[in-house]
Amino acid sequence: MSPQQPVRAALASLLIVLPAFFAAAVAADAPIVGREAPDFALRAAHGPNVRLSEHRGEVIVVSFWGSRCSTCAAQLQALDRSYTIFRSAGLEILGVNVDDDQRRAAEAAGGYSLQFPILLDPQKGVSRDYRVDNLPMTVLIDRDGRVRYVHRDFSKPGETLYLQELRGLLNE
Amino acid sequence: MRLLQSLALCLSLTTLAALHAVRAAPEDPDKLPVTRIRDLHYGDVLFYVYQDESFEAITRLNAYEHWKLLPDHQAEAQLLLGGLYLSLGLHNEAGRRFEALLTPDIPAGVRNRAWFYLGKVWYARGYLDQAEHALRQIGGRLIPSLEAERQLLLANILMRQGKFAAAGEQLAAWQGPADWTVYARFNLGVALVRQGRLAEAAPYLNTAGTIETASQEMLALRDRANLALGFAYLQANQPAEAKTALERVRLNGPYSSKALLGTGWAESALGKFQDALTPWLELRGRSLLDSAVQESYLAVPYAYARLSANAQAADEYEKALSSFDAERTQLDASIERVRGGGMLDALLGADKDRYRGWFWQLTSVPQAPESRYLYTVLAGHDFQEGLKNYRDLSFLSGTLDRWSGSMDAFENMIDARNRAYAQRVPRADALLATNEPDEMLRHHAELASRLDEVSHDADFAALGSPEERAQWAKLQRLEADLAAAPHDAANDALRERLRLVKGVLYFRMSGSFKEREWEQRKNLRALQAAVREAQSRWVRLSDARKLVTGDTGAFEARLADLHRRIASLQMRLAAASSEQNAYLERLAIAELNSQKERIETYQVQARFALATIYDRISNEARPAKDAASGAAPATQHSPAPAGEAPP
Amino acid sequence: MRKFFRTVVLLAGLAAAPYALAQAPAASAPSASAAAPADAPAAAASDTQSLDQSIQSLKSEAVDLNRDLFVLEEELLFPANTQVAVFLSMDVGDFFNLDSVSLKIDDHEVANYLYTPREVAALIKGGVQRLYLGNLKVGDHELTAFFNGKGPNDRDYKRGATIRFKKAIGAKYLELKINDRQRRLQPEFEIKDWE
Repeated sequence: MSPQQPVRAALASLLIVLPAFFAAAVAADAPIVGREAPDFALRAAHGPNVRLSEHRGEVIVVSFWGSRCSTCAAQLQALDRSYTIFRSAGLEILGVNVDDDQRRAAEAAGGYSLQFPILLDPQKGVSRDYRVDNLPMTVLIDRDGRVRYVHRDFSKPGETLYLQELRGLLNE
Repeated sequence: MRLLQSLALCLSLTTLAALHAVRAAPEDPDKLPVTRIRDLHYGDVLFYVYQDESFEAITRLNAYEHWKLLPDHQAEAQLLLGGLYLSLGLHNEAGRRFEALLTPDIPAGVRNRAWFYLGKVWYARGYLDQAEHALRQIGGRLIPSLEAERQLLLANILMRQGKFAAAGEQLAAWQGPADWTVYARFNLGVALVRQGRLAEAAPYLNTAGTIETASQEMLALRDRANLALGFAYLQANQPAEAKTALERVRLNGPYSSKALLGTGWAESALGKFQDALTPWLELRGRSLLDSAVQESYLAVPYAYARLSANAQAADEYEKALSSFDAERTQLDASIERVRGGGMLDALLGADKDRYRGWFWQLTSVPQAPESRYLYTVLAGHDFQEGLKNYRDLSFLSGTLDRWSGSMDAFENMIDARNRAYAQRVPRADALLATNEPDEMLRHHAELASRLDEVSHDADFAALGSPEERAQWAKLQRLEADLAAAPHDAANDALRERLRLVKGVLYFRMSGSFKEREWEQRKNLRALQAAVREAQSRWVRLSDARKLVTGDTGAFEARLADLHRRIASLQMRLAAASSEQNAYLERLAIAELNSQKERIETYQVQARFALATIYDRISNEARPAKDAASGAAPATQHSPAPAGEAPP
Repeated sequence: MRKFFRTVVLLAGLAAAPYALAQAPAASAPSASAAAPADAPAAAASDTQSLDQSIQSLKSEAVDLNRDLFVLEEELLFPANTQVAVFLSMDVGDFFNLDSVSLKIDDHEVANYLYTPREVAALIKGGVQRLYLGNLKVGDHELTAFFNGKGPNDRDYKRGATIRFKKAIGAKYLELKINDRQRRLQPEFEIKDWE
């Protein structure tokens, strides 16, 4: 959607005769919390392609995981539980797998029998946009499309906090 | 962007928010004659419309119009724009667009649609006569879904104008889809009931109340029809008919409480108090939140009293009083909390300060103590409208925030561009001013014609190597010198020698002439290519130079203006948001207060009834004593009523 | 007395009577219907009205502002003289599930778009997507596009197309057309230059 076209991409495409002299607007290294969640479209392990912005109006949880990360399995199950409970209140969960090998990713996903879509980011473009520096990493996005909370790793107290934050976002 | 997100909320709990409903159809331009898309940009707008992204669609449509990119879709664009504005709740804008389409040069199909939407606009603003007029301008039929909506709209307008007969006739003549006509019949029936014309209303409500359907929506409507009919009969003292209608209401549906209450009253009106107890006791076991249940707390002891079970009646009244007391206390507490802004805090959670608080579409009410009281108000028209506004304001604010973010990038761009231009444009200009290619061209022309001369004159010497030419020149000088010298043997010998040497040189040069000429021609061609290359680069440079409009000054001015407008609008959006918030709070408090009043009224009634019952009990006790003392018993058959009841 | 009491309580019961006219059911665009006033016993009617009016005018202003911002952004980033826009349209008889399209201009990849079911539905209905917006120098260029997707019977399709075009001063529009004109149940790909 045009107004949200990343300015950076637009700048990169300028090819006029006078040499391109626009400073590549490098995104500041500020944390993404409080900022607009970078939009993306990814293929799903099973099912149709998914675009983040089509879910505006819902509370979205984007969780980055890999098939080799040990705590990811437990975390995905926890997410699945919260999905069952809160789905009807407007929750959408997107699991983004970052494995290089897409087939392995799809197999791993199949093994967990999760109810929410698993998306594949083998090029890791989306992971870069979201500055994923740890797996699992879970991003909570509010109904306005803004990143509100980020969880790195998974633990019991972490899960409690996550549920609390989720309720807050759903009630907004 | 999901401005069109459907309001699927507890409509079942609607109370007296009397509204006419038009069964809303999306303002869907795929109902427009989908002609070939002749302007690509119009197709782009439709791409967003078909995804329900109305705001994006409006922005693009306006922008493309501004750039005049939609020459072949003028009329449709206006219609589409009007519809999009309508869906955003911007009636004035919508109206203006539609009115612009009412000229004779617009095709009839488009004009009809314009009239239709205009009718909706007027209706929404409460101008019934204009709305009717607009709808009647439509010649011929619209496409089925719009046609159905038109009929319903017209019927509603006529009802609101009190022209019930006309509405009835229109409904009779209308062969619309079943669902739509049921809505119309329901509305008409209810309108007539409110006018006290039950006899006329009954057939409509009966039809609506006996439809065969499986859809949830329709089932709910059927329940409502039966409920309305039932209560109307009760009021008209026709309890038997009331019972029939009320018994059609689903027991597990959202209206069952009221139906149970009404059924009880119907039985009671027929004198069957024992039978009345059945629905009332069932009701009494339900949550006290429901006003029907509250009334059952009084109705049950009333029935006992009528059955002369006075002790039981007294007991029940006592229970009712204490339940009501508890409830009142809770209500008071809730009111306090809402007044103190507590309601919003509970609903918004911790981020209230950081964020303009807003409600989204509430499909499940959050877990705050006062939530339970607010179901009714949350489902009401006013609250829903307020909520929608609140959401819209939040959305708009969000889009402006995004733009704000980009503004900095734009400024940087313009700065960088300015700086680069400051460096390069003067250089380019200087270069362009020198007119180099023309020079080169002339140079080339000169060389070419010179070479032509040489060829034509077979001027071998001209193409000699530097040494050869030097030698040739020297020989020619010697020749000239010798020409002047006297003729003697020495000079002649020299002349002869010279002639020989010159001959050899000439021979050599002529041998290489062709080759050299060829060489030179090649060089000339290369030069020509280079000149052409330079020329085209020149053209590109001067083109590019032309593109540098040099009015980034204009951009800067626009940017500054937009920045200012964003800031100003954000402020006003925030102000409107909090006003809307305050309004929603007032609604909530009003609702809580009215619930409190109702409970208080019931309490008053209960107390009076209780007093009467106690009297009766003690009177019954007296005959025993009087019998013992011989006095005549006084009898009373029913508790004296007291107090006014709020309708 | 008896009657009175009963009536009194009955009327209280009628406080809950459902004499509300049928409200709009769950539907998409509620505004015209839901906004019908007059009967609505709004708490403070004039309050609502003036608040509503100011919100309407705010919305209207926001719409205008958004347009101006959109216009500025494009004029700044993609001035008309250098602009090139590539559009995508679908005209298929049987359903064709477009998965992705990639675009190269002069051998540089400039776009790679994944399509969701919602977008495909919009294309099939007749929407035209402005897939790519960029700037190009005056002169000759080459555009190459590939699409892939699933046709009826879940068959996979991959197609490509190339076009050479001249960029002059002024915006250039190219349209990628996916259609099954031949009705051979095979989607084809062509590129149209809107000169």
